[in-house]
Amino acid sequence: MMVVATPAVREEKPDLSQMQLVYKRPESLTEAMTHYCPGCTHGIIHRLIAEVLDELGVRERTIGVAPVGCAVFAYEYFNIDGCEAAHGRAPAMATGLKRVMPDRVIFTYQGDGDLASIGGNEILHACARGEKITVIFVNNAIYGMTGGQMAPTTLPGMVTTSSPYGRDVAVQGEPLHITEMLAGMPGVAYAARRSLHSVAEIRKAKKAIRLAFQAQLQGLGLGIVELLSSCPTNWRLDPSDALDFIREQMVPVYPPGDFKVHEALKRS
Amino acid sequence: MTREYVDGATAIARAALRSGCDFFAGYPISPATPILLHMLRELPKVGGVGIEAEDEIGAISMCIGAAVAGARPMTATSGPGISLYSENIGLAIMGETPLVIVDVMRMGPATGGATTTAQGDVQFIRWGTSGGYPIIALSPSSVGECYLLTQRAFDLAERLRTPVFLLTDKDMVMSMATVDVDEYHDIPIGSRPRVPPAKPPAADGTRINAVTGRPDGRLRPEETYLPYDFEPIDVIPPTSPFGGPHITRFTTSCHDEHAFLTKDPQKVARLNEHLRAKIESRRHELEFGLVDRCEDAQVLFISYGTTARAMREAVARTRAEGIPASALTLHTLWPVPEQLIIDAARGHTRVVVAELNHGQYAREVERILYRHAALHRLPPPTIISLTRVDGRLLTPEQFLAELPSPQS
Ligand SMILES: Cc1ncc(C[n+]2csc(CCOP(=O)(O)OP(=O)(O)O)c2C)c(N)n1
Ligand code: SF4
Repeated sequence: MMVVATPAVREEKPDLSQMQLVYKRPESLTEAMTHYCPGCTHGIIHRLIAEVLDELGVRERTIGVAPVGCAVFAYEYFNIDGCEAAHGRAPAMATGLKRVMPDRVIFTYQGDGDLASIGGNEILHACARGEKITVIFVNNAIYGMTGGQMAPTTLPGMVTTSSPYGRDVAVQGEPLHITEMLAGMPGVAYAARRSLHSVAEIRKAKKAIRLAFQAQLQGLGLGIVELLSSCPTNWRLDPSDALDFIREQMVPVYPPGDFKVHEALKRS
Repeated sequence: MTREYVDGATAIARAALRSGCDFFAGYPISPATPILLHMLRELPKVGGVGIEAEDEIGAISMCIGAAVAGARPMTATSGPGISLYSENIGLAIMGETPLVIVDVMRMGPATGGATTTAQGDVQFIRWGTSGGYPIIALSPSSVGECYLLTQRAFDLAERLRTPVFLLTDKDMVMSMATVDVDEYHDIPIGSRPRVPPAKPPAADGTRINAVTGRPDGRLRPEETYLPYDFEPIDVIPPTSPFGGPHITRFTTSCHDEHAFLTKDPQKVARLNEHLRAKIESRRHELEFGLVDRCEDAQVLFISYGTTARAMREAVARTRAEGIPASALTLHTLWPVPEQLIIDAARGHTRVVVAELNHGQYAREVERILYRHAALHRLPPPTIISLTRVDGRLLTPEQFLAELPSPQS
C-alpha cells in the first residue's frame, strides 16, 4: 500500500467584501460545457454574442436560430430561446419567426458551408427582402462538423479531406467572398468582416456584432458579420498555430473591413 | 338555397383563413398557384403574413419558423415542390410542428405534366421524408369537402402538433363547380396544448418586462418546463411560446425531455416511439370517409379525390338500372382508415380500387382486407386495381365495366 502524505492545508478565507467582480459569465450563456475542440473560436463567438445581448438588454426577447454544423448545439449554450434549422435554411426559418414576432430579436448562427454553399439561396433572398435579422457568419474555410471537407470559402491551394491535392482554383473555383456580395444589396444595413486571431481583433469583432444587432433593433435591415474563425482540428494545427493561420493565410484572402454601414448606424 | 360558381382553390384558401391560418409561404407551381395567389391577396387584409418565398425549401422553412412562433401556417405546392419540402417535413415531424401542406397533384415524375391531373403522390407523401414516421393525409373529392377537410387539417395539425397533408389534384383545385353555399361547414378548430401561463410576479417586487409581459430573469426550462415530456407515450406535449414564460428550445435532432440532443438509446427509442404512437393511438379519431353501402351489392368501389366523383356517378347510374353497387369515398388516406375499409367491404365479393396512378392505394386496401380475411378465416374478396395514367380522368363507364355482367 502506498502512503500519500497530505500537505497541511492552510485555511485562508479571502475577504470577499474587498473583492470586485471584473469578469463573469454573461447572463445570455448557460453553464453548459461546450463540446468545441480546444482552440476553436466558436466558443469566443458565443461569448461575444452573449455579451452583446446582455449589454443591449435584449436577452429576454432574443431567439437564436442555428442550423447543423459544429454549432448545432448552440441552443444549449445560449440562455435564450433557441431553434434548430435544416442545413442552410436558418435565414428562412428566421424570416418566419421575425414576421410573426416582429418585436423579438432574431439571429442566425451559420457556418461557411451552411451559409455560402447549401444555404446560398436562403441568405441571398433574406438580404434581398431586407429581413430585420442578424446573421453571424462563421468562416473557418472548411466544413468542420463533417470532417474538414472543402467549402466554397476554402483558400486557394488549401489541402482538405476532399481536396487532397489542394484547392485548384482552375477547377474548383476561387474562394467565395459572399459578405462583399451581399453588402451590395439595399436590404442589407450592415455587412462587415472581422477576424478572431488576437485580442485586439476580438474586441473589434464584438463591436461589429453589436452593430449587426443594432441594425435590427433600429429596423434598418439585415445585419451580417463574417468572422474569420479557427478550426484547429481539421486544419491539423495546434491552437496557437491556428490563430497564426488566420492572420497569415486567411486575412490576406478575406481582408477584414466594413462593406456596408447604414447612415443611421454611423451616428450611433 | 344560395349557389356560387367556384373552384377548389378558393374553398381551400377560404377555409384556411376561417381556421385562423395567419401565415402562408409558397413558391409558384401549377396547379397549386391559385392557392398561393389567394392567400397572398387575402392574408394582409386580416393582419396575416403571406410570402412568396425564394424556393420551396425556403417556403416550408418559413412556415416552420412561423409555426414555432405560434402562427397557424399553410403552404401549397405540387410533386416537384414536395420533393424540395422533403427534409423539412421531417423537421416538422421531429419538432412536432403544426403545419398544413396542400399537395395539388399533377402528372409525374419530374416536370411531368404541369397542367395534367394525376394521383401519383399518395405513397410519396406518406414516405416522403427520411425515417418513415407517420403523417396525416386528407383528400377531398368535392369543393364542399375542400372546405371541410382544410378545416379538419388545421384542427388536427394544431391538436396533434404534426404536419397534415391535404392531398388534392389539379382537377379538384382548378375546376370550377356550382356549389350550394350550405355545403360549407365550419368545424371548431382546436389549439396545440400550451403550458399554463406564468404565475403573476412574486410579491418580492420582480420586474415585469414591458415587451414580453413576464417577469425578468426567466426560469430555465429544466426547472419548470419539459418541452418533450412523453408521459404517457402518446401525449401531445404542451408548448411554451418563444419569448414566453420559459426558455424554449425547438430541436429537430434526437432529443431528451429538455430538448437537448441525446444519443441515450432509451431516450431515443422513447422519442421515436412517441412520434409513432401519437398518431397510431388516435387512428379511430382519424377515419374519415363516405360510405354508401347497398345491401345486396357484390361490388364495392373505393376511390378518393377527383376520381371519386366518377365513382359516385357510376354508382348512381347502375342503381338506376337496378344493379346494386356500393361506394366508399376515402377522406383520410393516412393513416389508412382500416376499420372504415373493413366495415365498408363486409359482404362484398369484389372490391375495385380506382385511382390515377399504378395502384398505390389498392395495395393498402389489399393489405387490410387480406389480413382481415386471414385473421377471421373468411374468403377474401377479389381486389381489382382500376387505374389510369394517361393524364385523363377515369370515366363512369370505366367503373361500370367492372361490374359483373348480368349473365355471370
Ligand atoms: C441536407 C444536408 N446535407 C448535408 C448535411 C451534413 N452536414 C452537416 S454539417 C455540414 C457542414 C458544416 O459546415 P459549416 O457550415 O462550415 O459549419 P462548421 O461545422 O464548420 O462550423 C454538413 C455538410 C446535412 N446535415 N444536411
Ligand atoms: S471541428 Fe473545427 S469548427 Fe468544429 S468544433 Fe472542432 S475546431 Fe471547431
